Amino acid sequence: MSSSTAFRELQRELETKANDLSKLQKDIAKNHQVRKKYTIQLGENELVLKELDLLKEDANVYKLIGPVLVKQDLAEANANVRKRIEYISAELKRLDATLQDLEEKQNSKKDMIFKLQQRIQSLQAGKGKA
Amino acid sequence: MASSKSSSGSEALSKMSLEQLKAIKEQADDEVNLLQDSLSNIRNATARLEIASSALNDLSLRPQDNWVLGLKGPHHLGVSVLLRLLSKWIISIKFVGKKMLVPLTASLYVPGTLDDADKVLVDVGTGYFIEKTTNEGKNYCERKINLLKSNFDQLVEVASKKKSIADEATVILQAKLKQLTPST
Repeated sequence: MSSSTAFRELQRELETKANDLSKLQKDIAKNHQVRKKYTIQLGENELVLKELDLLKEDANVYKLIGPVLVKQDLAEANANVRKRIEYISAELKRLDATLQDLEEKQNSKKDMIFKLQQRIQSLQAGKGKA
Repeated sequence: MASSKSSSGSEALSKMSLEQLKAIKEQADDEVNLLQDSLSNIRNATARLEIASSALNDLSLRPQDNWVLGLKGPHHLGVSVLLRLLSKWIISIKFVGKKMLVPLTASLYVPGTLDDADKVLVDVGTGYFIEKTTNEGKNYCERKINLLKSNFDQLVEVASKKKSIADEATVILQAKLKQLTPST
């Protein structure tokens, strides 16, 4: 009797652990998506910075704000793009750290699930013999 | 599985079980498809850039023609120039005194006059536009085209390597399947 309740408990634990694992994997997938978006933006901004660097002091730079093209100062545009690049790089680093953390948790969850499964199997084998 | 993919190709592949082999083949096929999509994207972008570049060329060579601005692509009435819409590198042009038709919607054009045919506004990304001369605009287009071409070449290399892995996996998989189910 006690073995079957222990069995059921183990199964319940397995279920919760499996749910946790799938949630972790969803988080990891989301992390990848956000990372991709940021990486694309970073590349775009670096291209813009390169173009801005090629300009002479008096070249006209315009920024599209909503439906309006606004004339911008070259120095200001440079500063803005640089700041954006810094921000995106910081975000990417933060995401990397989160991703590593998530992956570690995912691996440890997988180990726990595996061990649980082994216990369940040995229990079943024990029950079978008895 | 991922680590054995990078080790000595066919020997590692043939040692693996049927399940692993199937999974690897699927994964490699997916990757190849993704890469092919990227390749065609690059080809499209390069084509659009070349259109913009040739339009710039015509603009600088023949400023006397009547101009028609196209919303989606160049038609050839004189020469028309791409406006910002689909492409990232679309160039909007300020015109000089010449009569032209300005698109307000995809089906509505309004007559207008050109302002200055020497300067062009180049969309460099993230909402920034830079005023350049037509020559600088042409340079910009050429630079972008070269960049895209080198990206394209790199991608082609990667894609062909992935494709050969996918093909090998397929071949070995089929051979194994034949071994398991010999048909007489």
